[in-house]
Amino acid sequence: MSNLKDIRHRIGSVKNIQKVTRAMKMVAAAKLRRAQINMERARPYAHRINEVLTHLLPAINRNLNRLLEVREPKKVGFVIITADRGLCGSFNTNIIRRATEILKPYEKDDTRLICVGRKGLNHFQSRGYNIIGQYIGFWRELNFGHAISIVEQITDLYLKHDLDKVFLIYNEFKNVIQQNVITQTFLPLVLTEESMGEGKVDFGEYLFEPSEEQIVNSLVPRHLNIQMWQALLESNAAEQAARMTAMENATENASEMISDLTLEYNKARQAAITKELLDIVGGAEALVHAQG
Amino acid sequence: MSTFQLEIVTPTRIYDEGEVSYVRCPGIDGLFGVLANHTKSVFALTVGEIKIIRDNETRYFATSGGYAEVTGKKVQLLLESAERSDEIDVERAKEAIQRARERLAQKHKIDVVRAESSLQRALNRLRVAQR
Repeated sequence: MSNLKDIRHRIGSVKNIQKVTRAMKMVAAAKLRRAQINMERARPYAHRINEVLTHLLPAINRNLNRLLEVREPKKVGFVIITADRGLCGSFNTNIIRRATEILKPYEKDDTRLICVGRKGLNHFQSRGYNIIGQYIGFWRELNFGHAISIVEQITDLYLKHDLDKVFLIYNEFKNVIQQNVITQTFLPLVLTEESMGEGKVDFGEYLFEPSEEQIVNSLVPRHLNIQMWQALLESNAAEQAARMTAMENATENASEMISDLTLEYNKARQAAITKELLDIVGGAEALVHAQG
Repeated sequence: MSTFQLEIVTPTRIYDEGEVSYVRCPGIDGLFGVLANHTKSVFALTVGEIKIIRDNETRYFATSGGYAEVTGKKVQLLLESAERSDEIDVERAKEAIQRARERLAQKHKIDVVRAESSLQRALNRLRVAQR
């Protein structure tokens, strides 16, 4: 049994850790509220833009905009969205695990990763993957401009035939205690089986005003920016939620540990007292015997 | 009069206008109106005023542009911004006009296109607010 001073010391440090985790939880909760509002407000718009594009894809002429080209996917890019910081449970590891799985068939030199968030970047950079873009340290002041600059890089590479296909891997905010890892095809714009299955697509003619070309040329880039923006907002809200949950668990674990240690401390104290009493009683008896 | 469903969706909120009988939007090539059973179409919209007639009651929105998708029984307007006439902050619009005019007066070192378009947006909001 460890001695009293050691136990007291450990209780003290667990209490300090608990203070930190509790504070982190509160900070995450405050950030989550903001992030969640932003994300939920933007969600319907992003979904509708996607819906309109889904409606239009079968009807439009793909030669109008080079972003609509569909090529054989020789050069595949992956946008991997993680957080800049840890202590958020399995938030980052889930993304990294999924990405690693998907990247398995590729040679490391033949991967083209765009890492958003420091955690993913550190992981894949140190393992020798080919990083073609990195966006880190912006989560705190996340704005639409960040989505635009990421999309600009991707579309630029796509138009230069340096990328033929681009996937997006990110955490979607499902609810406060759950995040879903989403793998989504970002480019080329093709109908997903999902949208076909739901019968949303109807292959009819559309009337375009002012012209099909103008609509396509403004709608396609806007769509891409909005989808990226939504992915960033989702990931941001999911990160704060994951951190809040992780820190809440840590705080609870600390409480449990404190009560276990306190019990142990009291047992040790009791044992020490009993031992001292035995010594005293034993000593007194010895004296009695000596006198008798 | 036959009606159709109208929804206005912006990045910050949704206005569900329910069943309406007419909507008029600011298209890039000029105003256009939509009645029920309009042919399937997509329009690009610019800065301007949206007029909605619902149960003989007329409403106005100010928008800075976006898209209108018309499909059979439903019209959705995907707008960069939309404000209902009675929700527009007139003071803010006036301030924005002032600011944009000052910037345009400086002539140099400014993004003229941006200042001009923010002036147009503010003027439009003010105009719609006075409906």
